[in-house]
Amino acid sequence: MLRRFASNAASSLRAKDASFNAFVSFEDSPDLFKPNEGLLNDFSVGIKDNICTSALPTTCGSAILQDFRSPFDATVVKLLKEAGARIAGKTNCDEFGMGSLNIHSIHGPVVNPFDVDSRRAAGGSSGGSAAAVAAGLCDAALGTDTGGSIRLPASYCGVVGLKPSYGLLSRHGVVSYADSLDTVGVLAQNVQKVEKVFGSINKRDFNDPTSVSERLREKARLIAMERIQRWDTESLEGLRIGVPQEYFPSELNSASSHILSAIRHLLARLRSLGASIVPVSLPSTKYALSAYYVIASAEGSSCLSRYDGIRYGLRVPPSPGSDLTSTSETYAHSRSRGFGSEVKKRILLGTYALGADAFDNYFLQAQRVRQMVRNDFDRVFSITNVLHTENSSEEDVAGPGVNGVDVLIHPSAIRTAPRLDDVLDTLRQRDTLQDYVQDVLTVPASLSGLPALSVPVQNRSKFPASSLPTSTDKGYQQEAEKDEVGDAGWPIGVSIVGQWGTDELVLRVGQVIERLSRG
Amino acid sequence: MSRWLVDGWQVIIGIETHVQIKSSQKLFSRAPTSLLNDAPNTRYNTFDAALPGTLPRLNRKCLDLALRAAFALGCSVNKRSSFDRKHYFYFDQPTGYQITQHYSPFAVNGQYTSPKIGLPIRIKQIQLEQDTAKSITNARTRTALIDLNRAGAGLLEIVTEPDFRTAGQAAEYVRSLQELLRAVGVSDGNMEAGSLRCDVNVSINRPGEPPGTRTEVKNINSLKFMVAAIEYEIQRQKTILETLGPKQKVPQETRGFNSETWKTFRLRSKEDAPDYRYMPDPNLGVLVLSEQHIEAVRREMPPLPDATRLRLIQTYSSSGVTERNIDVLMNLDAVRDIAYDGVVEDTVVGAVAYFELCSQGRDPKFVMDWIIQNFLGQLFALGKPFSTEYIPVAQMGDLLDLITTKQITRPSAKLLLKHMLISPSDIPVKQLAEKMDVLSSVDELSNSSSHDDPLRDVCIRAMDALPSEIAAIQAGNENVMNKVIGWIMRQTKGKVEVIRAKDILKQLLSR
Repeated sequence: MLRRFASNAASSLRAKDASFNAFVSFEDSPDLFKPNEGLLNDFSVGIKDNICTSALPTTCGSAILQDFRSPFDATVVKLLKEAGARIAGKTNCDEFGMGSLNIHSIHGPVVNPFDVDSRRAAGGSSGGSAAAVAAGLCDAALGTDTGGSIRLPASYCGVVGLKPSYGLLSRHGVVSYADSLDTVGVLAQNVQKVEKVFGSINKRDFNDPTSVSERLREKARLIAMERIQRWDTESLEGLRIGVPQEYFPSELNSASSHILSAIRHLLARLRSLGASIVPVSLPSTKYALSAYYVIASAEGSSCLSRYDGIRYGLRVPPSPGSDLTSTSETYAHSRSRGFGSEVKKRILLGTYALGADAFDNYFLQAQRVRQMVRNDFDRVFSITNVLHTENSSEEDVAGPGVNGVDVLIHPSAIRTAPRLDDVLDTLRQRDTLQDYVQDVLTVPASLSGLPALSVPVQNRSKFPASSLPTSTDKGYQQEAEKDEVGDAGWPIGVSIVGQWGTDELVLRVGQVIERLSRG
Repeated sequence: MSRWLVDGWQVIIGIETHVQIKSSQKLFSRAPTSLLNDAPNTRYNTFDAALPGTLPRLNRKCLDLALRAAFALGCSVNKRSSFDRKHYFYFDQPTGYQITQHYSPFAVNGQYTSPKIGLPIRIKQIQLEQDTAKSITNARTRTALIDLNRAGAGLLEIVTEPDFRTAGQAAEYVRSLQELLRAVGVSDGNMEAGSLRCDVNVSINRPGEPPGTRTEVKNINSLKFMVAAIEYEIQRQKTILETLGPKQKVPQETRGFNSETWKTFRLRSKEDAPDYRYMPDPNLGVLVLSEQHIEAVRREMPPLPDATRLRLIQTYSSSGVTERNIDVLMNLDAVRDIAYDGVVEDTVVGAVAYFELCSQGRDPKFVMDWIIQNFLGQLFALGKPFSTEYIPVAQMGDLLDLITTKQITRPSAKLLLKHMLISPSDIPVKQLAEKMDVLSSVDELSNSSSHDDPLRDVCIRAMDALPSEIAAIQAGNENVMNKVIGWIMRQTKGKVEVIRAKDILKQLLSR
């Protein structure tokens, strides 16, 4: 009886998902329907397919793990279950989290549910998680964010996506792409649901060596709470919002001026509620993307070296007569067939960056840039980074600015969701630079391990000019033209970035923005 | 220096030793470390098998044992060190990389001095790292079997500066290192069981000239092989330099040692040296050691062998205990099984501790003689391994006290000791002696001043029983005395003191 009910739930979800391809497997085991007394009772949650579940396969969107089933649940999955959540299934993603459009998956691309007929990308790599939430297939979804993989699809699909501070959510059972950047996060229709799921899984885990101590979490949380109490949601008096000039690149002015105007409108509303809008500069931002791709690829080449076809996963036996003189020759058969082109590209790039000849100029240089990016943030925030004051013996750690800001606000992406046909075309032309540039606004927070929340804001380009606060802008004319090619109304995300450990503060500001956007 | 030259060549040797840490769990996982007789693939967990989503977690017990090794070798401990990934594809490496300490090891700049080596050896660094799995390749079927039991076990890599000048010094260093690491409970240091393996670097040069090109001989698993490998390398390099002319150089190579031919062979040249693509491990971050922790480990260190030897000599040589005696006891302790995780067990007392406990309130020389000559001697005769568990300290003390108070004769005490070794029990020694009827009665046998001396009676009976022997003695054949004494011992079940019996006999005969 229960099984039939469960299977029915799974097959109905399967039917609904047919046009999005958000899920890659569905939970239909009945024991998950047993009554639970928890905060997430009756919550259904999608799990990105690079997070281990013992009941369902964990493929990471890769052929090399196509039949892999983990013997254990990731800590975050275990915590969700303990809180009473029901696992809906596993969500599609770019292979091992490598991609920004969810087009690099063995399970095929995810279609953005905002308007299925126009076949736009959901964003990536957590595209399945964002689409599942946007299409109402589950209450919330877990994603992972290495350089923007939650915030970008959240922005493209019009849902809320949180990349928490690095070290808060356990990575035990999360398949590594780049250990120093990988962060588990939450996607949902609204901030409140995100907060609820985040609260249930935000626990120290001794199985994750990068899981931060209770003491440090509490220290940062107290600072955040103190800051929140300075203003109330009605007036926002005392909230200092920084607008980093480097996050408004030329691409934004020309091609996506509707994003710009949406942000301007939002900032004007926040100011009218009493918040101070402060222009700030994060000068190292321009180097962040290059540094990110060096570090992420280097760590990726290392983390993915365990997939050899020996103990689990796809094994392609060497063909008769092939060279078996070295182990790598044997592995090459499985790895060549098991990894997709994007993963191979990053493994090669990372392998090069770690080589003795390139290490100093690439990997070490990228680490220096990473420190500069971190220092930039520490300089503009009014809140001290509790991690640096704890762990660093160096004197040159950037202290909080006297006129520092509480949070930063910037667009989550330089554009709205691109058409799948266009991105698959550029993929065929082997021009993936477009793919990488998607991440330009999201990687700095990843490099610094800061909490970042993408919240949908109204795309005002579908509104008549008179309602725009910046209607005298020249941009408006271009916006009107854009409407005709179909960007009008497509979701736009705004990112709120806070100092390390102030996730509650970021979520609270997100809630205000959400309310403003819904008018 | 000149005394170490080989046909006018100076030899320079450095040693890297890989030592298995005797911890109950592996370095970064909670899987139990394996023993040689464990069935293959029974001692690993998801982390050791490199399953997706598994992360390392440093075993602090391995770290504390590593610190003991650092102190024992006089290293300075870095308060901040880090772990790196060394990448290479091989069947025995499930993750595709080994976690080691390439850029910033936890201990550096040590010095080890031992009178037996004759010159101080500088320790360059000690690093913590993971052991590999075992792979057994079958060349014929071109297959490999993999056993994950050893994968991820904790290793120490101890790197010396090139301070050795002879193969003998190198061997002595490894021998001393074994003893040292066992004494501080870090490792079994057992080369046969694979818990200690060596790589040696060898180069030769003319005195006054810069060092020659070195070759590295990898994975040597016995001291005999190490000496042979070094000596083979010296001869091989000498031949290259002497026969091929002064402009020739020894090629920089990594070599192996063939234990069948006793020759080294080329594994790879400098050109095909792998690029390990070292990268700081992003999961483990910086290993921070607090001053308090370092000091706590230092305080709880078991004493080093050299310090123990010195202390024993200073304490006991005035009582007549010799250095040789002390070495016998220390060698017994050096081969004891050591406990996991550096636990200093007090249930089983070592040889040195046994001696010292038994010596409390007794003459150390007397105690030492009984332990070495009788306790050890009888165990050896019985073919039993050494252990102090046969006769606990208190029992041994009681036995020794029976001897010093003359309640038992030495021959009887030996008999009793043998019995106690064959069938250990917790019966009080005196009771046991009574049961075996080997106790001398003070009333019956010890009172020499009395004319009612029972021993005197026994002697008189002996003279009656053995008239021809007595006549022989009186005729001057002193050796026959032993025959008479033997008769007396049989009659008294050995309960009399030989010297006193002789005295009484002589007294009676001289009348």
